Amino acid sequence: MNDSSHTSSEHGAAAAHGDGHHGSMVGTYVTVLLVLAFLTVIEIFVPIVYDAGHNGAIKMLLLVSLAFGKAMIVAWYFMHLKWEARWVRWVAAMPIYMGIFAVLLMLESYYRGVGIQG
Amino acid sequence: MWCFIAQDGFSFGGLLLAYGILRFTAVDWPRPDHVLGIGLTAVATFILILSSVSMVMSVEAAKACDQKRTAKWLGLTILGGLTFLGIQAYEYTHLVGLGIGFTSSVFDGVDINDLFGSTFYAVTGFHGLHVTAGVIYLMCIYRGVLKGKYTQGGMSYSAVELVGLFWHFVDLVWILVFTFIYLL
Repeated sequence: MNDSSHTSSEHGAAAAHGDGHHGSMVGTYVTVLLVLAFLTVIEIFVPIVYDAGHNGAIKMLLLVSLAFGKAMIVAWYFMHLKWEARWVRWVAAMPIYMGIFAVLLMLESYYRGVGIQG
Repeated sequence: MWCFIAQDGFSFGGLLLAYGILRFTAVDWPRPDHVLGIGLTAVATFILILSSVSMVMSVEAAKACDQKRTAKWLGLTILGGLTFLGIQAYEYTHLVGLGIGFTSSVFDGVDINDLFGSTFYAVTGFHGLHVTAGVIYLMCIYRGVLKGKYTQGGMSYSAVELVGLFWHFVDLVWILVFTFIYLL
């Protein structure tokens, strides 16, 4: 499952293959780190901006998409899914099903709660 | 390892799902960012992301058969994990001092929804156990690196790659937990 990672490196382009591959990956990882740090800073400011309690839906949408975006970046680059075979990506994607399930159940119990109260 | 991570993802999914339902249906849920310390946890989050970076650097070094660099980056990863656990231990102590317990929550002398503390400790505690397991796992691999087991070329680096996968997963879960428990 690790052989496919070599497709991304400049095979034989550098005189020392190991160093060439290493150099290119370090650049990618530093970029990913900067993106993650930037997104985290934005994320921390979201609850401060939406402190008054209004725009709850926008706040939720922003935070959830930022969180899933960051999680995808970690899986894609740090966990090397970008360079993995398709079936590995499918195995990795399985828990996403829990997200769909969560939304459905939360909405169901929410409306049931509203029904009982009303 | 991917199959393990997928099923572990379901475990976290189950906990977060329960938290989501309990919170979504509660009328008196406090704003988490008013009760929990966001600043310190943001630092812990950043440290965990940094430890993910040092982890990928260690895997790259192991691929290049550089034992010294593999050990150095893996050591930094362990240090990151331990720092994260230290911050979490401090945070728990602080929150218990405030009155946020596992079964009853008091904040500013006022009773708040008890489920706030329960779900907080259940989710972050389960994640903390994963970090603890990860640090122990990393230490075992570190010993092997010092013996030169994983820097002999070929596929010998794969043990470092596998511990890396687990470690990134723990980081990934924290990214979600941090948002859902602390910020939302």
